[in-house]
Amino acid sequence: MRETYAAPLPGMNLAELPGKLIVIEGTDGVGRSTQIRLLRPWLEQQGRAVLDTAIKRSELAGKGIQQAKEGHTLGRITLSLFYATDFADRLEHEIVPALRAGFVVLTDRYIYSLMARAIVRGADPRWIRNAYGFALKPDAIFYLRTGVDDLIPRVVFSRGFDYWESGMDIHPSEDMYDSFRKYQTELLAEFERLAKEYNFEIIDATPDVRTVFEHLRTGVARVLSGEPREPLFSVATPPPGEPLEAAAKRVLEMPAPTRPAASTPEEAPPLDQPLARAVDGDATK
Amino acid sequence: MKRYGEHRFPGKLFVVEGIDGSGKSTQLMLLHQWLQAEGYGVVFSEWNSSPLVRETTKRGKKKQTLTPSTFSLIHATDFADRMEHNILPLLKAGAVVLCDRYIYTAFGRDVVRGMDPQWVRELYSFAVKPTAAFYFRVPLDVAMKRILEGRSGVKFYEAGLDLGLSEDPEESFGIFQGRILDEYEKMVPEYDLTTVDATRPIEEQQTYMRQIVKAKLAQAKRLRVAP
Repeated sequence: MRETYAAPLPGMNLAELPGKLIVIEGTDGVGRSTQIRLLRPWLEQQGRAVLDTAIKRSELAGKGIQQAKEGHTLGRITLSLFYATDFADRLEHEIVPALRAGFVVLTDRYIYSLMARAIVRGADPRWIRNAYGFALKPDAIFYLRTGVDDLIPRVVFSRGFDYWESGMDIHPSEDMYDSFRKYQTELLAEFERLAKEYNFEIIDATPDVRTVFEHLRTGVARVLSGEPREPLFSVATPPPGEPLEAAAKRVLEMPAPTRPAASTPEEAPPLDQPLARAVDGDATK
Repeated sequence: MKRYGEHRFPGKLFVVEGIDGSGKSTQLMLLHQWLQAEGYGVVFSEWNSSPLVRETTKRGKKKQTLTPSTFSLIHATDFADRMEHNILPLLKAGAVVLCDRYIYTAFGRDVVRGMDPQWVRELYSFAVKPTAAFYFRVPLDVAMKRILEGRSGVKFYEAGLDLGLSEDPEESFGIFQGRILDEYEKMVPEYDLTTVDATRPIEEQQTYMRQIVKAKLAQAKRLRVAP
């Protein structure tokens, strides 16, 4: 039986939804859609039927949101609710039918990006959590994590700064670059809070596309095989019988993370891949 | 983000509520004319009238793809747009704002459609608490008679045909409105709605409304824009 975060929608049968709901989250320009483009054929080769969906793709509200964003009178609460309409439409008309038919649903962002954006724009966190309370709990949430310093070259060398992705609606006095930096920093901090609350599986998005894909693929394969998730911090579970002080000492003596602090949010999990990165990903293509 | 009841503005907000055929729009129109004649700066805002979401609502209604959730959310979007761009700034500027239907309409309809009552109430928690909310209480058969005599038919969502209560539009409309009426009755104590007996003569109801509005505006003489 699938679960929702709060009261489910009327008439939604949560039983018999054998498909898998896999969320790819991450901020603007981090490479989510590139990864989904790679995941889809990989899954299909294994004989899995895939539905991929993304924000603003609903039949009902996609066009309306686009038009509203092109104007200049869109209020923040209005925008949040318009997105919620889009999400509900896709949930009921796309995601749930696909899960019922046994599809793997790959969703490019889910409620978390929408919550982060709303909160950064001043929405009451309680209010936005309630609004999305009817959302299905996914089978896994992969968060492509990056820092703002890694993000900037990606965005500059691909599509350039976008008005909304730069938060120009909330930092209008800044130029695009300053506004982007400020807004994305706030957004990434909010994602970190959500990562803890909703138990995201964190994937380091700073290496090249192939490396990120390999990590993601391993995670997705594990979800599909139904194996439990490995703990992110192996040190968190001490060997049986280890005294508390010894465990604490062992944790304290662990080597510090090797990544430069400027580009990593605090408490980054240890990564087993080289951390050198450049603008060699999808951003340059 | 301020929540219901936390807003403090110089303007005043009066809203009318009730099922279709309760006569609330007629009463609001009469109140509007009187306030203007009295020299107040008055602005009127109607449910489901935001140009921003009009196309989306139209698409959903035409194709009948609206579900209880999207029906609820699209109307909340519409309301938010009017709240952010119309009602809030006007109240800050000291206007008298009149709303034909308000959040209580959503609480009634959406809950009858199966949405969680607490969810809908929290969804609209950004709304300003009205200075007075008039609820036009009318028996179902009286309202039905008024509606069905005056119109050629009722629309799909208006009749609640999406709920599958009955194949017959009129019968469905009756059941749907009856359930909304029950929800309104629950809201009267919950939100301290000012009840108006909508079976009384029109002038009598209007006199009662004006008395209440006048008392609320007594301490706000400066809202007058003309002598």
